Amino acid sequence: MQKITGNLKQDQKALKKLIPAEDILDFSFRTEKGGEFVVLFTDPITDKELLGHLVVSPLQSYDGEMKAEEIGKRLSFPELRKETSLEKLAEEILAGNPVLLWEGMDEGLIVGTKKVFIRSIAEPPTDVTIKGPREGFIEDVKVNTSLVRRRLKTGELKIEYMNVGKRSQTFVAVCYLEGTSVQKVVDEVKEKLQKIDIDVIPDSSYLTHFLASRPKSLMKQVGTTEKPDIFCAKIAEGRVGILVDGSPIALTVPYLIVEDFQSSEDYFVPSYRATFTRLIRLFALIVAIYLPAFYVAAQLFKLQLIPIKLLLTISGSIRDLPLSPSLEMLLVLIVLEILNEASIRMPKYVGMALSVVGALVLGETAVSAGFVSTPAIIIIAFSGIGLYAVPNLIEETSVVRLVMLLVAGSVGTYGIILATGFIIFYLVTTDTFGSPLVAPFSPMVGKDLRDSLVKYNLGSLDTRPVSLNSKNKRRLRHE
Amino acid sequence: MKQNKFTRFLKTVPLKLWLLLAAIVAFSFISNDFGLVDIQKTAIVLAAGIDRNAEKGYTLTAQIAVPKGVDRTTGGTSSVEFVAEGETIADCVSDIYCKTGWVPKFVFCNLIVIGDETAKTENIFDALDFFLRNEYMSDNCFIATCQGTAKELLNSESAIDDTSSMAITKLFSNANVKSGKAMKMSLREFAMGYHSVTESGYMPYIVQHKQETNENSSGNNTTQGGGEQATEYKIYCAERTALFSKGKQVALLGPDETFAFSLIKSNVFTGSLLTEEDGKPVSLTVLNDKGDVSLNTKGAPKVTVKVELTVRLFNRAIPSEIEDVAKNEISDKLKENAKETVLKTVEKVFETSRKSGCDLFKLNQSLYRSSAKKYEEWKDTLLSVVPVTYEINVKTAK
Amino acid sequence: MNKISTRQLCFFLAAIAPVGKIVLMPTNLIYFSKNNLLFPAAMNFLLQAAVIFLVLLIAKNDKSFYQLIADKLGNVTAKIILTFFALFFFFASLMPLLEQKIFVQSSFYDTLPSILSFSSFFVFSAYLCSKPLSSFGRAWDILAPLSIAAFFGIIFFSVGSADFGALAPALQSGAGQIFRGFAYNMGWFLDSAILLSFLGKIDYKKGLPWKGLLSYLAGAAAVLLFLAIFYGIFQGIAINQEFAFTKTSKYFSGIDTLGRIDFLFIYSLALVMAFYAIMPMQAGIDFLRQAYGSREKRFLPAILSIAVNAVLLVLTLLFDFRYISLNNLINGTLFWIFPIFCLLLPALALLFMIRRRRETK
Repeated sequence: MQKITGNLKQDQKALKKLIPAEDILDFSFRTEKGGEFVVLFTDPITDKELLGHLVVSPLQSYDGEMKAEEIGKRLSFPELRKETSLEKLAEEILAGNPVLLWEGMDEGLIVGTKKVFIRSIAEPPTDVTIKGPREGFIEDVKVNTSLVRRRLKTGELKIEYMNVGKRSQTFVAVCYLEGTSVQKVVDEVKEKLQKIDIDVIPDSSYLTHFLASRPKSLMKQVGTTEKPDIFCAKIAEGRVGILVDGSPIALTVPYLIVEDFQSSEDYFVPSYRATFTRLIRLFALIVAIYLPAFYVAAQLFKLQLIPIKLLLTISGSIRDLPLSPSLEMLLVLIVLEILNEASIRMPKYVGMALSVVGALVLGETAVSAGFVSTPAIIIIAFSGIGLYAVPNLIEETSVVRLVMLLVAGSVGTYGIILATGFIIFYLVTTDTFGSPLVAPFSPMVGKDLRDSLVKYNLGSLDTRPVSLNSKNKRRLRHE
Repeated sequence: MKQNKFTRFLKTVPLKLWLLLAAIVAFSFISNDFGLVDIQKTAIVLAAGIDRNAEKGYTLTAQIAVPKGVDRTTGGTSSVEFVAEGETIADCVSDIYCKTGWVPKFVFCNLIVIGDETAKTENIFDALDFFLRNEYMSDNCFIATCQGTAKELLNSESAIDDTSSMAITKLFSNANVKSGKAMKMSLREFAMGYHSVTESGYMPYIVQHKQETNENSSGNNTTQGGGEQATEYKIYCAERTALFSKGKQVALLGPDETFAFSLIKSNVFTGSLLTEEDGKPVSLTVLNDKGDVSLNTKGAPKVTVKVELTVRLFNRAIPSEIEDVAKNEISDKLKENAKETVLKTVEKVFETSRKSGCDLFKLNQSLYRSSAKKYEEWKDTLLSVVPVTYEINVKTAK
Repeated sequence: MNKISTRQLCFFLAAIAPVGKIVLMPTNLIYFSKNNLLFPAAMNFLLQAAVIFLVLLIAKNDKSFYQLIADKLGNVTAKIILTFFALFFFFASLMPLLEQKIFVQSSFYDTLPSILSFSSFFVFSAYLCSKPLSSFGRAWDILAPLSIAAFFGIIFFSVGSADFGALAPALQSGAGQIFRGFAYNMGWFLDSAILLSFLGKIDYKKGLPWKGLLSYLAGAAAVLLFLAIFYGIFQGIAINQEFAFTKTSKYFSGIDTLGRIDFLFIYSLALVMAFYAIMPMQAGIDFLRQAYGSREKRFLPAILSIAVNAVLLVLTLLFDFRYISLNNLINGTLFWIFPIFCLLLPALALLFMIRRRRETK
């Protein structure tokens, strides 16, 4: 590790050598007494105006001793740090914090005048609520931690920072409540993060792969949220939260599937309403996964699944179709996925036009032309809508839906039953950070069922989820 | 080193197996070749008619649903009737398959009709055996016999529905059964009776009548045979009930007796009981019907037939004063007449049952359940010698 | 996930194990015992319940079946006994598999499908049998409530059509027929033997034997109720109504308007049944793993599972249309094998335990 020598020219040269980028600039100036200073900074991410006002101007008229403490007092700037290592100084320069060097001094002064480009805090597009907080995380980890801190004003809230990514050196904040979160989980998270040996972490989603116990799993094993209120609620339950600089998506572990059936709004509406909504979400998900599969299986193998009058309507609709019922459904499903993918990536206004083209023109024309039948389009449309009732599980459920369709088209309803058995067994045998993925249903935890697919009154939710193994069990004390 | 290689190989096996499985599923999905008979290759049989064929065993008339829609956006229930012949019913079904290329599926078959002659001369379980054995057939379908042949009945054009079987099954709706004008019977219940100690059962007897239509009034007025002859539309009636013993039709209950039988079975609610007062017809609405046939097995068996009705005046065929209409009173005489009417027909039903040997009220079964020993003693004579007491009670709704 | 909890075990005994007894067993019972079908079924249930109670008493010392025998009779004897048990389980699993096959072919298809359609079961089975038995506990947590809901759904849909008077006159068919019904239906009562494979994997808590016993009796009561309803609905033709639980609910009046919603219950039970049908195979494989497995042989269960399932698949194909003959052979001629492995040997194991305890004292 190289140290600062005190020889200004030599140190300046050494730093430039360490970071030979063209946007690393240096600026030299002298005090009235002739003292020589050099400021090294990264041009696009340093607030030069602030640097000029708060550093260069006061120092140009400085006539005191050329010691770090004295110079620091003169600057009266809150974010000043001393550093002797050239490598560390280079890192700070790259992070946007200028480094001040002067002749004869074997320490560099880091000045926190980083220019931060951040968007304002807004309602996240993926987690909209009608009643409830509308703040969402943004890409700046500092702002995000401030949003967390604002909600958890306790010394027990620990936020531990670390850098992940060899080249990106992404700032990652591990947040947890000391005494509430399980220390073993905290340690495991930190250990897994430290072990990551990767070039760049562009988004928090990269970390999920490294945090998962079964990285190749179909099911996600890390919870995600864009809302600080949900993030804090999860931390308060005993989970560990992870904020990643550059990503508005916060991660939480351990993850339980039931989380994705809950919405922050459930806690702001009466419990009967929340229960009803959660059950509707589950029903929508089941319909989304199974409806196309059962429709195909019924037509191919078991007509009895469809009431006779509906069957005759379907029979009339599919007359002379060129495709078998299974291939017809697969075709419509693929078209839906394409439309879905295209409408998300398209610019907003083109996207609107696309959905009109997709829904009206393609659908109507395909039916008239005899490519597909009307019931198939209705089934897929219903399934597509159902999938969005639980938006956090779309990636997983759309794959399961496709698998179910393939199995239904080849083996029929029995195939669907067996595939369901596979999935159940797979899910119940998956654990994340010591907590079972399907808890509180399997293993069944009676107390936790009170805030699962049903939701009891807030007064009844007096303990933290047992499935998370928190030592601090009580969260509400009755008078 | 070799061990490591083998272990490494074993580690990759699950992935390879999953890929193989995915390939098999994908192949079978695309080829659709699991011996399946999908909806496009299926003939959905809505009703089956069975007639004895003098030359070749049986004639099976299968009424097959045909999608009505022509623009792929509408449905409907029009049908075609396909007539097949064979030594057995299964043989007839194969005949349909052979001649149409469609696989007949009976899962939606809601009606089995047996021709008059067949029901009288054959043990109909020779034919029904096919349906009882068939795992892919619903035994919850209605079963009925009919005047003439089942083929004629199913081939007839209904005046109220595009499909004759749909029109017929409307006769067995709960509303119609509650009127007391028709009895209904399912294949399962009929088979249970046959395979019980009573070996008896009943089923509705369907009669078709020509519908007098105004030529300009109906959209159903189509032409046949080059547009020369107008189609003859039919309406159906199941007011009569056929009684069976040992699988053969042995008697027929008329409309009044069918109504009385319904009263005994406690089926009637808001049905109309026709009686008379001063020589003029009067209709009473049955608001409550409690019927029961009980067998007393203490000593020699004795039967009590009880019918308790609560009625209200429905229609008097003579003009009444408006005050009388408002009072809606039933005279004691009228009540007595009603009681007499019910008693007469109930007696008639029991006597028909007794004479025909059809254990309509499952007396043998009751005896068997209460005492198997006594059953052995009485099983051959019970129906013919058992004394009957009738307790008919008609009350007025206040 | 290492141990099966008391709740999970009770779920298995009350809601998973009874499901295997409502497919073909009811008609088989009626074949021998006619309207007295409840008596032989109850006798089998009571005997099983007694042995299950004993097995759960043994579970207290937290030793596997292999260890229990090895401690007393040595490793070689333990290996021989467990191998015999494994062979018994593979033999006993053949009938449930064929039962599954014909049930699937009848209830999941409108026309007789290709035999290949049932082959998918063996993929499912091979996957699950390669997993440790203890991980099944969690699956039962999900399946048991499903099973209970579906079972009572079927009961609710069926009870209105039943005439319980059909069960009279009691004992009319005579003790001989009842005994035949009892003996020739033992093949459906493997629960106590299956439970032996759970030994050493149960998280024993105080009162487990009693809880297990009551759970099993609750499940038995539910099956007996179903049998009564089944006979009440079909009476004289019940003998012809195979796959009993798929037949009783379709006469519910709501079906006319809602369509065959009872399929929801039937398919839910079919899912539970698929898990139950693999239990004998799973138990057999687990016994072989106990006898011959080691930490180094971690692929052994998977290899065994694939091999056993492949053999059973071949046998299923071989006996495709020979269900009745095979039923006559296994449940008729060879019925005596079942009480040896399901009643006698588990009871003997307890005797070993009691003697050992006395010796220790």
